[in-house]
Amino acid sequence: MAGKSHFSASDRFEYLQGLVTEFQDTDSEEAKEQVLANLANFAYDPSNMEALRLLQVTELFLDMLTEENENFVEFGIGGLCNLSMERESRDQILQSSGVPLVISCLSSNRDETVLSAITTLMNLTTAASRSETTDSAVVQCMLRFSLTQNPRLRNLASVFLEDYCTQQQVDRAREEMQGQSQSAVGIPLPKD
Amino acid sequence: MSRLLWSLTSLHKMDRSVANPSVWDTQQLYKHHEQRTVAQTRPKYREGRRLKAVKVYTINLESRFLLVQGVPAIGVMTELVQLFALYGVIEEYRALDEYPAEQFTEVYLFQFKKLTSARVAKRHTDEKSFFGGQLHVCYAPEYETVEETRQKLQDRRRYVNRASQNTAKQHNLQLEENTVSSCTKTQTSAAPEIQKGSEKARMENVNRDDMGFSVLPLAPEDDVSYRLHGFEQPLQLQWTTDTTLPTEDKMGSLHNAIPPVTEKETKQSASCKKERDFIKRQKNLSPSIRFMPRTTHLESRKRKLEGQAFFLNEAAETETLIGPKLPELPKVDMEDHSLNVTASLIRQTMSKVTSVPEIKPVQVKTPTVKPRRRI
Repeated sequence: MAGKSHFSASDRFEYLQGLVTEFQDTDSEEAKEQVLANLANFAYDPSNMEALRLLQVTELFLDMLTEENENFVEFGIGGLCNLSMERESRDQILQSSGVPLVISCLSSNRDETVLSAITTLMNLTTAASRSETTDSAVVQCMLRFSLTQNPRLRNLASVFLEDYCTQQQVDRAREEMQGQSQSAVGIPLPKD
Repeated sequence: MSRLLWSLTSLHKMDRSVANPSVWDTQQLYKHHEQRTVAQTRPKYREGRRLKAVKVYTINLESRFLLVQGVPAIGVMTELVQLFALYGVIEEYRALDEYPAEQFTEVYLFQFKKLTSARVAKRHTDEKSFFGGQLHVCYAPEYETVEETRQKLQDRRRYVNRASQNTAKQHNLQLEENTVSSCTKTQTSAAPEIQKGSEKARMENVNRDDMGFSVLPLAPEDDVSYRLHGFEQPLQLQWTTDTTLPTEDKMGSLHNAIPPVTEKETKQSASCKKERDFIKRQKNLSPSIRFMPRTTHLESRKRKLEGQAFFLNEAAETETLIGPKLPELPKVDMEDHSLNVTASLIRQTMSKVTSVPEIKPVQVKTPTVKPRRRI
């Protein structure tokens, strides 16, 4: 079944390593964006995941989430969304304490960034991390998302609320939203 | 109070939405429908075969729904549907009259049964010319329901984990030649995975097995080896396994050419044995197949088809019928109940239609006396 790939595992690894090196060495924003998008797309293919994990690309993606450049954030969280589908990569992200960084992406102005962040949070939810990924602030944010006009955002937030949160959590978040203790997670700051 | 806050926040977002479409606004046109400009500045080593825009694909962006823009408004819907039907079963399609289209063009929405079909269709039709226009095909996940979104994510997760398990398996195989021992290993490792999966996803629907995703589609060479092996099998067995004729896919796409070997992964013992066979097969056949000339391939296909015809004739001989009988049409499973019903209806009417003219000429011919021919 290795026939699926045209390249051997070592070729693959070398190529990806080349990409990571270029990303770290180049000063051009444009080249960085391209390489980052490349890496994030490579993360879609399960056969690359092991190599990407070895190259610490999860760390690289997580670093992107705090960048100023919105493209960097979008591609970084996209890559994490792709990687976190797999269990080992998921554990790696959790070990690097990536959950707060992912949650911060919920406040982005961009659709794709927010959508990727929601899916990544779903993937990152395990028995151990549940309290962190379904924090009350996140649940409130999802409740707001589930009321928007954007069908993709609405659907994804509904899946999150139905499958990853308990009814108690949702009820409590609703109560909190009625009261004064609203969280600002998922509300983008106005641009100036 | 919260409502007020909510409306306030959404209000100040509305202003900006004109310039930058955000997650909050209500417009029909979505950013991901736009065609991005391709990147011209890539260095040689990471320049693909086609120029592409700088964009990241995630499962959120993919969908069984495809939006097809730029269809010339000259009444070619049938041709369009025929084109897209080449890539997989279409569950639904319709013209989107309300969608803003360029002048003299139409926009269509297609819903494929499988996400893989949609993916292949998009790759083969996007930016291709069609009746003088250029198609722009993109995914349209906003037409999904909540349930469809959920299913899509679950299928993707399952596929990724199965695929990575398989690659791990392969590593094992490469390390140790003894396939039997590795087989038992995968058996033991696979069992807890399944348990975990069912625990984690309480809503998981076990009956639906990988709707959207093929289980590691085989490479062309492997596929050929499978076919060749099929030829070597007793004919009866082959007939039962290949309900849909294994004739070549004209698209060269493998989305429906998945052998049953990988499909029945849950049956561990069976799959284990099959896997061993498969590896043996690969070992035996791969050198000869890699360089198999096309003529040989065509010949073997021809022989196989003849074999099938022979098998059908043999079955017919058991009935008390004298004279040759045409082979019956193979009953193709359309993978859908309503489609099957329609197909059988068509088959019935076809048989009715074809049976009528056979009787008529006999009735007409008998009374009339053949006039003598004048010389």
